[in-house]
Amino acid sequence: MHISLIASPRFLLYDIENMTPNNIPLISTQHLVKKFGEKTAVEDVSFEVFGGEIFGFLGPNGAGKTTTIKMIVGLLQPSSGIVKVGGFDVQNQALQAKAASGYVPDESNLYAKLTGRELLRFVGDLYGLQRQQVDRRIEELLRLFDLSQAGDDTIDSYSHGMQQKTALAAALVHDPKVLVLDEPTVGLDPKSARLIKDLLRQMAERGAAIFLSTHILEIAERMCDRIGIINQGRLISVGTMDELRGTISGEASLEDIFLSLTGGAEYAEIAEVLK
Amino acid sequence: MTSSFAPASEAAIGGDLWGVVWKLLRLRVLIFVSGFRRAKLRSKIVMILAVALILIFLGFIFFLSWTLLRFFRSPELVSLLGDIEPVLESVPALIVSGMFIGILLTSFGVLLQALYLAGDMDFLLSAPVPIRAVFMAKLLQAILPNFGLVCLFALPVLYGLGISSGYSFFFYPVVLLVLSALALAAAGLASLFVMLVVRIFPARRVAEVLGFIGAIASFICSQSGQLARWGEAGPAQAQQALKMVTRLNTPWSPLAWAARGLVSLGKADWIAGAGLTALTLLVCGLVFYVALVTSERLYYNGWASMQNITHKRKPVRRSYGLPTWMPTAPAFQVWKPSALQAMIQKDFLVLRRDMRNMSQLVMPLILGIIYFFMLLRSGNDLSVGRGEAPPVVLELIHNASTYTSVGLSLFVGWMLLGRLAGMGFAQEGKSYWLIKTAPVSSARQIVAKFLVAFLPTLGLCFSFLLLTWLIQRSGFATFIFALPAVALCIAGSTGIYLSFGIAGANMNWDDPRHMQKRVASCLGTLASTVYLPISLVLFFGPPIAVTLFDVPEIAGQIAGLLVGGGFSLACAIIPLAVVHRRVARLGEI
Repeated sequence: MHISLIASPRFLLYDIENMTPNNIPLISTQHLVKKFGEKTAVEDVSFEVFGGEIFGFLGPNGAGKTTTIKMIVGLLQPSSGIVKVGGFDVQNQALQAKAASGYVPDESNLYAKLTGRELLRFVGDLYGLQRQQVDRRIEELLRLFDLSQAGDDTIDSYSHGMQQKTALAAALVHDPKVLVLDEPTVGLDPKSARLIKDLLRQMAERGAAIFLSTHILEIAERMCDRIGIINQGRLISVGTMDELRGTISGEASLEDIFLSLTGGAEYAEIAEVLK
Repeated sequence: MTSSFAPASEAAIGGDLWGVVWKLLRLRVLIFVSGFRRAKLRSKIVMILAVALILIFLGFIFFLSWTLLRFFRSPELVSLLGDIEPVLESVPALIVSGMFIGILLTSFGVLLQALYLAGDMDFLLSAPVPIRAVFMAKLLQAILPNFGLVCLFALPVLYGLGISSGYSFFFYPVVLLVLSALALAAAGLASLFVMLVVRIFPARRVAEVLGFIGAIASFICSQSGQLARWGEAGPAQAQQALKMVTRLNTPWSPLAWAARGLVSLGKADWIAGAGLTALTLLVCGLVFYVALVTSERLYYNGWASMQNITHKRKPVRRSYGLPTWMPTAPAFQVWKPSALQAMIQKDFLVLRRDMRNMSQLVMPLILGIIYFFMLLRSGNDLSVGRGEAPPVVLELIHNASTYTSVGLSLFVGWMLLGRLAGMGFAQEGKSYWLIKTAPVSSARQIVAKFLVAFLPTLGLCFSFLLLTWLIQRSGFATFIFALPAVALCIAGSTGIYLSFGIAGANMNWDDPRHMQKRVASCLGTLASTVYLPISLVLFFGPPIAVTLFDVPEIAGQIAGLLVGGGFSLACAIIPLAVVHRRVARLGEI
């Protein structure tokens, strides 16, 4: 499956196409900290995601995944530390960084009274794309996500899965070089979930950096080139599957590694008792 | 190891109907108690003060009713209005009818929310509890606040009547019993209406339309007093109004049976009183039972059909995109609409399509129409009393009257601004992430929101001005002067409202009433309320005053534009400059 990715965001000030994939970090966090009052949600998180790479971000509930993601896309201001997207500091060069990235939240929360088509056109306008480009792009995306028929219905009539697909389409309107997804497959039917996986792989092959958080370890294991595991706000492990396997002894699945690192192994014993 | 879970007995699961109803209601009580315990000390004190104020209010209404009803029996009033005893005996009919209709109308919206739109229905209907119990618990939860509110006004008046008329002891407890029975019957009927309507129209749409109609109706009612000609009221009108009260006490009305039963009990006419009261309770019980049994069936079907609702496809007129008048030539096709245009266009579209917004936006229009008619009726002349004031003052009043329509148009615009600018950012709600993650600067966002509030208000004010000028022909120079003055004045007000809107925006709202933090909302209204008269004085003070010194009015108008314009521009820009950094933090907890 191939879709043409044509848009060129107005604020993209450097020639990102000519950068060599795999050696330019398109996402970079340095000693990232986020505090909510007394509580530290994210503590000293540093990692890099390169062009052409799918980076999986795993962690138990409340570990700090969504907070980290929100800092990457500029929804939250870090308490300290630096986030760079596409080489731009998200705090000091916010517009350039945002122009380079697309974001799919865990809950879509789209404008309920706009139609799918209107929403995509609105997003295209926010990114300063040419109207002709946007219209062509919208038709491609609606067809791709099987939303063509519902494109002129208001979003409040969409199912959860349709809203999720619309949010994904909105993130792709401007053909971002960095795509950040928070639990992208939740609520999607198998066909749509597969479509997203294929799409992400294709984007990565074309040099984009994909950053996704997921609870579905099978997706992370099969799709991601590298995986970061966060627990209690701290990034406790980063690496390829092979590198992660090296952290514990024996042939281990990602589930074993995850439970071993996050301290969830004891729950398996409790479940055994309940059988 | 085998599972230790075993199915509970049937009695343990369901229990009796009232037991389950109590369990469900107790949950609400627990939630309230827990909320109170965990509330901040300040909130607790406010709650306790509110309860104390309500009790004082109850006492006040009781005292007022007692005193008034005694006054109605005074010989002087009787000589003026005639025998008033039938009217007083009709007071319970008035209250009972008002309460029944009030609960019937208000319960419709509350029950629609409680039965179909509440988030806990999935949980409750999947739990092993009788559907009838869920229905009854929801019904009771829904009517209790309304019933409490009605009792707040009805009970003191009825008890005041009882004491002033020397009614028997039995009157007092039976009043409460009859009101409760009528409230249940009204709620039962309302629930039937809800279920019938929901079978035809989607519940959410009904809620939106209902909110719109309710808001408009209550606003019209609140303003209708402005149109009344109080000056023409006399004893004849008072007698006519009192006769209307007695009309409610007709023998064929079941509501009048309840009222007559109460009065008869009060007068110790035991047979008539007990008979009518028993009849009332019987009819109420019957209505409630029929509503309960019918609703039980309709409710489950209606709720179940909501779960697999298929939305009727209705094509939406393409409203967002290239204007239809724009040619399709390539030059136009490469046109790049700016983010600013996109946000303005999107906001107008969302405001227009969401009924909840429309009700708030239509209110200033209604107010404008009411004041427009008042202005026409008064002939634009300010009252000068008996005309004994010094000539200078009379001259000033005459000059000021030229600008009455300008002041009114600004007042109407100010009301619209409260909604458009005050909630400009907050109305984005949880969807704000789309704008926040896009490459759009805070300054552009502010400008977009400013224009979304400013332009329609300006349109409304200019239309108001133009209409009044066309009808009153108050002077072309005044009209021309008023245009920039009004525009600048609105700009200042927009800046103030928008700034407080940014400072107090709550982007996580589910209920539109919680878009803004209360303190910021109040301060915003307060600041703009102070701003408006000051700017009016600065704009219109000089042209009104200069005529006293034989200086041409135009000189005063120019001075007014300079002084008032400077002040308005400062109010439009400075508050926004102060809060503009907050825009980047909106939506963060």
